[in-house]
Order: sequence, then C-alpha cells, then structure tokens
Amino acid sequence: MTGKNRLLDVRGLTVEIETRRGPAVIVDGIDLHVDKGETLGVVGESGCGKSLTMLSLMRLLPNKIRVAKGEAHFDGRDLQKMSNRELRKVRGGDIGFVFQDPVTSLNPVMRIGDQLAEPLIYHRGMNRKQARERAIELLRLVGIPGPEERIQAYPHELSGGMRQRVMIAIGLACEPKLLIADEPTTALDVTIQAQIVDLVKGLREKLGMSVVWITHDLALIAGLVDRVVVLYAGTVVEDAPVDALYASPRHPYTRGLLASIPKLSDAPASRLNSIGGTPPEPGRRPQGCPFAPRCPLAMDICRTHVPKLEPVSAAGSHRAACFAVEKALEAA
Amino acid sequence: MSTVQAQPAPLVEEAPVSLWRDAWYRLKRNRLAIFGLGVIILLAFVALFGPYLTPYDFLSQDLEARNQAPSLAHLFGTDDLGRDVFSRVVYGTRTAFVVAVVVTAIALVIGTVLGAVAGFFGNPFDRVIMWLTDVTMSVPNLLLVVVINASLKTPIAQWMEARYLETLNPFYRETVWIDFLLVFGSMALISWPPYARLVRAQVLSIRSRPYITAAQALGLSNRIILMRYVIPNALGPLIVAVSAGLGTAMVLESAFSFLGVGVNPPTPSWGNMISDGLRVWQHYPHLLAAPAAVLGLASVAFSFLGDGLNDALNPRGSK
Ligand SMILES: Nc1ncnc2c1ncn2[C@@H]1O[C@H](COP(=O)(O)OP(=O)(O)OP(=O)(O)O)[C@@H](O)[C@H]1O
Ligand code: SF4
Ligand SMILES: [Mg+2]
Repeated sequence: MTGKNRLLDVRGLTVEIETRRGPAVIVDGIDLHVDKGETLGVVGESGCGKSLTMLSLMRLLPNKIRVAKGEAHFDGRDLQKMSNRELRKVRGGDIGFVFQDPVTSLNPVMRIGDQLAEPLIYHRGMNRKQARERAIELLRLVGIPGPEERIQAYPHELSGGMRQRVMIAIGLACEPKLLIADEPTTALDVTIQAQIVDLVKGLREKLGMSVVWITHDLALIAGLVDRVVVLYAGTVVEDAPVDALYASPRHPYTRGLLASIPKLSDAPASRLNSIGGTPPEPGRRPQGCPFAPRCPLAMDICRTHVPKLEPVSAAGSHRAACFAVEKALEAA
Repeated sequence: MSTVQAQPAPLVEEAPVSLWRDAWYRLKRNRLAIFGLGVIILLAFVALFGPYLTPYDFLSQDLEARNQAPSLAHLFGTDDLGRDVFSRVVYGTRTAFVVAVVVTAIALVIGTVLGAVAGFFGNPFDRVIMWLTDVTMSVPNLLLVVVINASLKTPIAQWMEARYLETLNPFYRETVWIDFLLVFGSMALISWPPYARLVRAQVLSIRSRPYITAAQALGLSNRIILMRYVIPNALGPLIVAVSAGLGTAMVLESAFSFLGVGVNPPTPSWGNMISDGLRVWQHYPHLLAAPAAVLGLASVAFSFLGDGLNDALNPRGSK
C-alpha cells in the first residue's frame, strides 16, 4: 500500500473535542497522503478542520481536543506513537510549519534572528555564530532585503508580508522534508499573496521538499499544487490531481467552491452559484452525507448513508465521496 | 515601515541578554525614568550605608540644641529632643527600604506561587485562589492592619516581656522587632493579591498564544520555551508591578507609621516623623518638610521608573 515514494500517509485520522455534552467529532476519519516532492493543496471553508488536521499530525492540539483514532506515518514512522523526544526531532527538523497568523505566531520579545537561530541550534547543533550566518542566508532566501540588519529586528518592526516571509524562513530553517503551510497568505494583500506563492514555488524546487498548502482559496494555489484534497466538515470529499479537479470537479461541494471563484469568462449570473448555508458545527453533524443539508443534488440515501471516498476516474487518482457523482458530471 | 538601525553585528552573539540590553537602551532615553532610577539608587545607598556615615546617632539627644533650624551642623535641623533630623531621615530611609523590600518580596512570592498555580492548574485551585484574592482585596487595608495591630501587638509584647524576665536574654527586650514583624506580616497580607492576579493572567494568556504553539512546532524543549518564550513575555509586566509595588509599600509603611500602627518611635520612619512634625509645623516647619519631601521624592521616583520600565520592556509599544 505504501509506496517507497510516500512521505506522509494519514489513515482514518479522527479528532474529537471535549464538550459539556461529551466528545464531538471535528475531524472524521481523514485519509490523505503526500508523496516525496509533491505539493498538496488542502482546501475547505473556514472551520472545516484544516488546521486541526495538521496540528494533530504534530501532536500540537490545544486543550480539550485530541486524536481519537487513526495513524499518521511520516517517512514510515507513526507520528502518533512516537516518543516525545523523537517527535521533537521531527517537529521543525523534518516537518516545518508555517502558521496562519504571522503577527501572533512570532515571539514579540525575541529578535527574528534569534527566532531563526533557535531551531538551527537545536536540530543542527550549530553554535550562535553559525546559526546567525545561516539566519542571514535564510532571510535572503525568502527575499528579505538587508538581512544582515533585519536579523536584529523585532517582529513588530516588520510589515505583515515581511513577517510572513520570516515565518516561512523559520519553517524552512532546517530544510525539512515537508513544509506545512497553514493559510500563510490569509493576512496579506493580494499582490503579496502572489509573491509568497511564487516564493514557495521557487523554494520547493530549490530544496526538493514536499509541501502541504492549506487554504480556502482554490484560485490562489492553482499554479502551485500538484494535487488537491477538498475537506468538508472534517471529511475528505474529493481528492484529485489539480488539473482534473478544475476540469471536472465531481463533488457538489467542490463545484460550489469553484463556482464561487469569479472568472473573466463567467457570465455574471453564474457567479451567484456559490454555496448557501453554513457547515455543521461540531456535535451537530447530520447523519448521512455531511453536505446533504446544503447540497442541491441531495437524495434520500444521502440523509441516511455516508458516501465513501471512491475512485471516479479510470486511473483511480481522482476520488470523490458522493452518491451522485454521475449526476454531478452530467450537471457539469 | 520603520527603518531598523544598523547596530554592531557582534551584539547578536549574546542573544539571551539582547532583550534586556534593548530594554536598557530604551530606558536610558527616558529622562524621567532615569531620574527616578537615580533617586532610587541614591536612596538605596543611603538606606544601606547612610546610618554609618551620619555625623550623629539617630537616637542621641542634645537637649541644648532643641528644635533648631537647618544649619551646617544639622542639615535638616533638630527636633524637640535635640536629635539630628538628617540622621533620622537617613535612618527612616533604611526603615522604608527594609519594609518595602521585605514586604514586596513576600507578597511577590505568595502572589507568584498562587497565581501560577491558579493559571496553570485551573479549577478547582483557580476558583479557591481567586476567591481568596477577592476576599483579601475587599477588606479595607487600614482596617486589617489596625485589627492585626490591636489584637496581636499586646499579646506578643507581653510574651516577650515574660520571656525576658524568665531568661534575661536581652533579645526579648528589643521590642522594635515586634513592630517590624507586624508591619511585614500585615502589609504582605494585603499586598500579594495584585501579583497573584497578574501572574495568573500572564500564565493563562501566554500559554495559549500562537507563538508558543509555533515554538513547539519547531521542536524546542519545554525548558527553552519556558526560558525564552514564556518568562520573557511574562516578566515585563511583573517587573513593572514590582517597581510600582516597592513605591506603594514605602508610602503604605509611612501611612501606617503616621497613624501609629506601623513602625513606632523611637525607631525613625518617615511616617512617624511626619506625624511628629505635623503637630508643630507652624513653629518648626522643617520637622515636617524634611521627611515629607523625601517620602514624596521616593514615591515619585518609583512611579517614574515604573512607567519607564513599562515602555522599555514592551518593544511592541515603542516607536
Ligand atoms: N481551540 C479550539 N477550541 C474549540 N474549538 C476549536 C478550537 N480550534 C478549532 N476549533 C473548532 O474546530 C473546528 C475546525 O477548526 P480548524 O481551526 O481546524 O478550522 P480551519 O479549517 O483551519 O478554519 P480556518 O480556515 O478558519 O482556519 C472549527 O469548528 C472550530 O470551531
Ligand atoms: S452524497 Fe448526496 S448530499 Fe452528499 S454531496 Fe453527494 S449528492 Fe450531495
Ligand atoms: Mg485554520
């Protein structure tokens, strides 16, 4: 099952939150994988569990939220079963993380040079002088002008875009095999977003790493990712090579997401085709297909049975979880 | 975007102190804070060594030279018993510092332990400790101190007296220590709640900051995260609180001594000197002015330093 080429292999990952009425499922048996050198896009509306999925891989879940079931193999080892000591080597060393909010994710009272140096000292055994040289190199790599001076700066002295570049530099510091970027551009304006995407694209090639890029913006990552996993309410509803996903989205939810991206060629009317309603809250998930309450194609079976993620293409690389896959295709 | 001043490169090699170095750099540019710091250092020096350097003993009376106005022989004049006011103010400085430092230290330890336990372990500790904090803060300070004085002072004094008669050990005749013990105890009792609240709030908020998760995601050890991420972020407000707390404790000690429930004569305290001076201020204003001026100076100095530290230790707030 697991090829030599597989870097990350997540199976049946289930995350629960403790509530007053008992545990509620937030992430429901997610399967996903990333191959070496591959870039995976993870897409979904706000609150569908993108961040928690990635945090749970690294066992960084906040209080009251825990992994109930599932495995996450990284380079052949189960992250969930690792000792804390082993896990710490993976964190920052093999897996770099870029967080959503560059304002709150940097230590406000530590110079950025020191924040960059810290993982280098720990994972690479560098001394301060070496770490400083490397920090300057890293800042230059992520396109920060005047890195020799910038290592002296505190986070608040940099603009949002610069801070996000620093976050990326920190994530890349130890040349990880996998970089997980959690909506790294949400806080930034559009031109800077594109710059950051280009930056990661270039770095991925230079360093030969795999990337998981989380976003709710399908358009932004079109040119960056190889494959896309669409999450809805903590489940994978579609998993496809990026071209196939854009050309023939199979899940009604994916179609809704794509339809809500304005295109130049669009007739004005079709832009209104975005998804009505909101995703279910944890603990209030519907019985059958989680998307049923909002789905324009919902049938009776959708309200009683949960659709499985099944291949919809001959090669099997395109999978969707929907009882109406054929219908969706016709409707397209 | 602000431009970043280029600084000599070697600075970064001493990274762990850079936060403090920067804070000091910012503090130095704050004139009021430096003035406050200077006054505090001077007063601390006076408290430590002053009593050995004064020309007169603070107790020695010179009945020939009573109520004299300030002169070269007696810088702040003399009081109604012919004691040198300057020497007494100097000794009062020691009293003020001893009380402020001891009380703040006790209150800081109690407050930090209780606040950290409340913030870290949550309920039920949190609920009990916060209840205790609220109760303590709701009792009027003066009332508490008066009650403690009234109910404990006489029994302790009597017990000491009895011990002295029994053992003839001169230690038991030294009633000054009762004053200090009661002052330390009662003031520490009313001073810890702000520290507990502050530490609790700091622990709670820093623990859930994204940069702590980010540090964990880098594989850093809990020790490093505690030393370089949690403590430096918590320390700023705590240092500011301690600086302000020292000033408050000094004023409080003077207030209680003024009211006769603190340090009592003949041990000099700014408060009891002000109290004595107030009775005769129309005739001998220097008896009131000297201790009052020093108390005011000390209080202002701590408040200036506190403000300056607040700005200096918070790089986000500075321009
Ligand atoms: N610390 C927390 N405490 C309670 N609930 C949480 C916490 N963090 C996340 N959740 C809940 O878990 C669900 C998934 O959250 P998650 O942060 O993974 O969403 P997301 O897909 O990353 O969304 P976004 O695009 O807004 O970042 C949400 O419904 C959210 O309300
Ligand atoms: S399974 Fe049914 S409800 Fe769910 S997405 Fe498909 S058609 Fe809609
Ligand atoms: Mg998120």
